[in-house]
Amino acid sequence: MNRLSRRMLLRDLGAAGLSGFAPFTGIDGALAAQGEQLLVVMWGAAWIEVCRKIAEVYSAKTGDSVAWELHAGGAMAIVAKMKPLWPHVSYNLVSGWDPVFRAMIREDWVLPVSLDEMPALKDIPPAFFQKNDKGELVSVPLSTSGAFWGYRTDLVDSPVESIEQLLEPRFKGKLCVPFPVNLTGLLMLTLAVQRGGNERNIEPGWQFLKELASKGQIGRVINNNSEFIDSMSSGETSVAFFNIGAWTTVRKRFPVKILSRLKDNKGYLFNEGFAVIKNDDPRKVAAAKAFANYFATPAINEQYNWPLGEGPTNPNARANPDVADVFYSPQELTQYAYIPDYEYMSSQVDAWAKRWEQEITPLIRRA
Amino acid sequence: MSMSVLRRVLLSPGLLILAVLVVAPITLMALESLRPFVGGRAGGTTGWTLRNYTELTQPAYAYYFWDTFRIGFIASAAALLLATPLAWQAARTTQPALRVLIFGLLISLLFMSLIAKLYAIQMTFGPTGPFAALGTLIGVPARSPQYAQVQVFIGLLHFVLPLATLMMIGTFQNISPRLEEAASSLGAPRWSVALSVTLPLAVPGLLAAFMIVFAACISNFVVPLILGRGVVLFATNLMYTRFSDIADYPSGAAIGVIMLVLAGTMVYAMTAIVRRLVPADVQR
Amino acid sequence: MTSTACASVAGDRLAGFLVRFLLIATVLFLVIPIAISGILSFDDREFIGPFPPTAFSLRWYRSFFENPSYISGLFVSLRLALLSAVISTVVGAGAAFALAETRWRARGLVEILFLSPRFIPTVVIGFSMLGFASAIHIFDAFTRLVMGHVVITIPFTVRATLAGLVGVRRGLSEAAISLGAPPWRAFLDATLPLARTGIIAGALMAFALSFDEVAVSIFLTDAFTQTLPIALVAEMRANLNLTVAAVATVFAIIAMLIVAVLDRVAGLDAIIGRGMYRE
Repeated sequence: MNRLSRRMLLRDLGAAGLSGFAPFTGIDGALAAQGEQLLVVMWGAAWIEVCRKIAEVYSAKTGDSVAWELHAGGAMAIVAKMKPLWPHVSYNLVSGWDPVFRAMIREDWVLPVSLDEMPALKDIPPAFFQKNDKGELVSVPLSTSGAFWGYRTDLVDSPVESIEQLLEPRFKGKLCVPFPVNLTGLLMLTLAVQRGGNERNIEPGWQFLKELASKGQIGRVINNNSEFIDSMSSGETSVAFFNIGAWTTVRKRFPVKILSRLKDNKGYLFNEGFAVIKNDDPRKVAAAKAFANYFATPAINEQYNWPLGEGPTNPNARANPDVADVFYSPQELTQYAYIPDYEYMSSQVDAWAKRWEQEITPLIRRA
Repeated sequence: MSMSVLRRVLLSPGLLILAVLVVAPITLMALESLRPFVGGRAGGTTGWTLRNYTELTQPAYAYYFWDTFRIGFIASAAALLLATPLAWQAARTTQPALRVLIFGLLISLLFMSLIAKLYAIQMTFGPTGPFAALGTLIGVPARSPQYAQVQVFIGLLHFVLPLATLMMIGTFQNISPRLEEAASSLGAPRWSVALSVTLPLAVPGLLAAFMIVFAACISNFVVPLILGRGVVLFATNLMYTRFSDIADYPSGAAIGVIMLVLAGTMVYAMTAIVRRLVPADVQR
Repeated sequence: MTSTACASVAGDRLAGFLVRFLLIATVLFLVIPIAISGILSFDDREFIGPFPPTAFSLRWYRSFFENPSYISGLFVSLRLALLSAVISTVVGAGAAFALAETRWRARGLVEILFLSPRFIPTVVIGFSMLGFASAIHIFDAFTRLVMGHVVITIPFTVRATLAGLVGVRRGLSEAAISLGAPPWRAFLDATLPLARTGIIAGALMAFALSFDEVAVSIFLTDAFTQTLPIALVAEMRANLNLTVAAVATVFAIIAMLIVAVLDRVAGLDAIIGRGMYRE
């Protein structure tokens, strides 16, 4: 199957700094100098794969082209790249999720978006948007996602009804949990909620965590999707708390029960999408907003979220049936869903990460 | 052009690069480490504070530094121990095919991605791997958190062994085999020749190799990241978290400054001790 | 034979056995992960499962050739590694020669100074270099990358050359000078060729380490200049991706082939050098 296309070859040449060769290769300047060129930061693997497809169609329609840069480091690595360079940052759109948006809002890097400029946003529930101090909308939510507890039913003999059961001896070394910096401390939150706390009263969560750690229940502490998938798939661990995107990948191959409807705990929801970055060139800004808007339209929103294992933000888009059972109907939201104050949580991550390093890792090490 | 002028010409580009590309960024980093961090923002804000350093006086952090230097030192020592016979063999062998083979092996190891090697090590020596029994052999069961340290050690060893060997080949080649032959012809057994003739002459090379290998080990974060299971954390991993996940650059910079000072002191001390123990520079 | 002679022969045998054991253990230790990595590259599973793999396929090789960011990353990495290695070797070897020739008291300190970029984790170097580059208004990603990669490879080129200079007596160049050669000729014709193995070892290490470098590159790349390891790591964050094993296997084989071909064509010793005491 020959997947090479003129478009791809031209993109390669451009990226390799050899785009000057393009005329000599006989490729007419299809991509050159027709519309705006946008710089977009996106995640790799399934995300970039579906985005390239969407962008190809978009470029053919509008003449704007897209150059992609991939998130290679941690969640805030893109912020680390932008901060020293500001204002010489050439990104037009940055994909992120709620806490990262909040950081960028605080740094005053993002442009507000209005429903007039981007009509597709009208369908999206207002609660999904991030707002700045003036109440303006400053994010373009494209996916709803969440973090849930779950386990592999083939490795755990009797069903798990409450995460209090995780203290039982049969789960020794079988827990897979993320560092607080991943998911902005949602792990701390879920443990706190279990013991009657919330994001501002997180101490009960620390107590629960210390019990789990000192009993040796924690088998692995993970950093990203890849490590999670690896740990759960190889059977090294059998119970975990992580985001639905990664769970979906494991679910493809192994029987997994996702505990999204626990009696004494919740599912923690967040949104991912684009932030429009400030830029001096108004045409680039307009092109960026148009591109982001395109992602929010029903058909594209559906196409985008389908392979990601996440839910669409546009209610007129269908959700992938693989994940539909996990997410909540509007009636269930109040009972089972928890949408934390991400602004507050992202301000606490540093302290929580340091406390984890000081108190929890030694416990796990000694167990 | 006199010798001293030539020396200055040779040295100056290096010093210039050091001054510009190393000293300047490190100074920026040191300055950043003195700035206060406000949760949720990116990097340090205005003002000066020593808080980033005082936070690190918690005893838990001493353990991370200790882990970094301890495992790094053991891995470096093991690397030198294993590299020396291999390098000596490559330098002294009379069969050219063997030499080519060893070089081929070393160079192909250099060009293999470290990450790929680490996945391979995880598959081989990890809890689900065929060599997991190695853990039980040394009294550390493969599923226990302590085994992660063994895996990190193996990963580091794999990273630096080719480097050490390549450097030592150059050293051994420039030590005259005549000296060894002379000593043997006087009746000394070969192990005695090795210990009393070859090794002392090779000490400056051993030292150079050890220093660079040690520095490479302690500044590595990929190995603990992939093999550490979240339990073995080097100071480098702490820094990576701060720069990449939290945007707390001041704290990360503070750890960096401390690493720089600690590592520099250790290397200086080791060099001084070795130079005193072994009469150096026999040829100089 | 006398008893002491018997003892020393026995001691020799034991020592010889030990050394041979160490050698074989070392080689096995080095080779096994290469082999496993090769097997991994054909593993059809999308996770690191128990060994041996249950299903095999060429998917990771295919994913490498079909993904434009890998191919463009490859070219960027090659250019970058070549340029960084050349600069680093020239500068580093020069510095090593100058240091080896001196009797300064501060020599030890300067040596440590040249080693210092390796005391700091590469993450910090990458981040600081980004700040520094934008402070002096260098916004071109490739230039930034070269700066970062030269800094982290210089310690290796300096040290490798120093290790290779062990045993090369200053007396040799002094002899050349006394025979009437100007110092720079003495250096070029007497000292330089003898340290060739060390210099080449340093150059190879610099190239390989630059090619494989991730942490520095994370901060210094941009949308149009991404290195191959960055492309691999970015894909691997989101989903386990063994393309890295396929790439590693291919490179390991290419490297071995190059060494074999070089030896055939020019003779390995002629290129890498045999040191002072050619047999």
